[in-house]
Amino acid sequence: MAQYTEQELKEKVQNGFVVEYPHEMTEGYRKALIVQLLVQADTELVSAPAYFGAARDAPSTNTMVSATAIIQDELAHANIAYRLLEDLGLDKEELVYGRQPHEFKHPYGFDHPLENWAELVVANGLYDRAGITLLSDVYHNTSYGPLKRALVKVDQEETFHLRHGEMWMKRLSAAGGEAREKIQSAVDWMFPMAIEWFGLPDGMKRHSGQLEYRLKGMTNDELRQTWMKSTVPLCEGIGVEVPAHWDEQKQEFVLDYPFPCQYDEDEKRWLFDEGEISWETVFERWKGRGPKNREFIEAIQEGRQFRRMMEAA
Amino acid sequence: MEGVALTAPVDFATLPAETAPLWSALREVMDPEIPISLVDLGLIYDVRRAGPEVEVDLTFTATACPCMAFIRYDIEERLLREEAVTSVRINEVWNPPWTKERITPEGREALKRFGVSM
Repeated sequence: MAQYTEQELKEKVQNGFVVEYPHEMTEGYRKALIVQLLVQADTELVSAPAYFGAARDAPSTNTMVSATAIIQDELAHANIAYRLLEDLGLDKEELVYGRQPHEFKHPYGFDHPLENWAELVVANGLYDRAGITLLSDVYHNTSYGPLKRALVKVDQEETFHLRHGEMWMKRLSAAGGEAREKIQSAVDWMFPMAIEWFGLPDGMKRHSGQLEYRLKGMTNDELRQTWMKSTVPLCEGIGVEVPAHWDEQKQEFVLDYPFPCQYDEDEKRWLFDEGEISWETVFERWKGRGPKNREFIEAIQEGRQFRRMMEAA
Repeated sequence: MEGVALTAPVDFATLPAETAPLWSALREVMDPEIPISLVDLGLIYDVRRAGPEVEVDLTFTATACPCMAFIRYDIEERLLREEAVTSVRINEVWNPPWTKERITPEGREALKRFGVSM
């Protein structure tokens, strides 16, 4: 039996109440928290195989070590979130090894191949920044005490990933020629991917349990603006073009393409020319998952067999 | 490696006038993972200057440090912004090995605030 009604708990957390134990949660709170943690855990987890593909293109042994250190961090972050889910009665083993690839809740953007070093560092610069934007908002606002404490370490390490991305984006752009072109091509498909990741615009969002339960503080559009506020100047500063600009009149960043729009998975290209599509169409594309979904999840799940072999030996 | 006692933190008061500005510049270069400068962490063993050419002796806290390439680039990038510096040569030095004795008092404070115990 829950200690509070839904309304009571919503009011309490808005007034600064910190939830520490499952018995303090309502069913609605628990469900919203589970979804949030699953998205967080799955995103960290699947970034590992995604990054690993590109890390093999590292320009030297030392840079490969940096990339694998980042991958190791991501796996540890996934473990933290799955561990928190265990407190809510879920089974980590089942969550990692027992689900079908399409049941994972990471963003569609991570179901795509990262094919070279430039794509890896742009992923660090753009996707890890999206991760920091989302998680630092959670850190500053969450009403769930155990998550807030766990995020201290996660945020510190994500900042390293971001710096890694920024440093390499700057270096490769400054090098010019093919290196620069590769950064531009990566930004061309990954920038809109990150924009879409933040989800439905506020005007269309019916209602957000995560905000009412104070599991986060900013709306989707606010998070998207926060992300652009650092990403757009970073790219412009190194001479990389992005399809967005600062609008003096509106005092916000605006996109220079129809949003949302369709994506060609084979060509790795956004179909700006085909105009705006509905969010229903976007959700269908997300639900169908991207081209690497199965391969990435299988790469992770193969680990169980290996571990069992080790245990049996 | 004159002027730098490697068993103790850098003594900013006794740095040679020629390289003191370079040490100051390097103090702005932060470790990629924790908020402490490379100088305060004690990774810089020596800095020498011959006209526009600068040479830095650099060590790492571990042989499998994931930030080696990162740190080298950051050093190079920062020193090249110093007046009349046109080339930066970085020597990786493993002897004597780094120990925490090399961390400056300011560095210890920074680590404490960050939550690293020593």
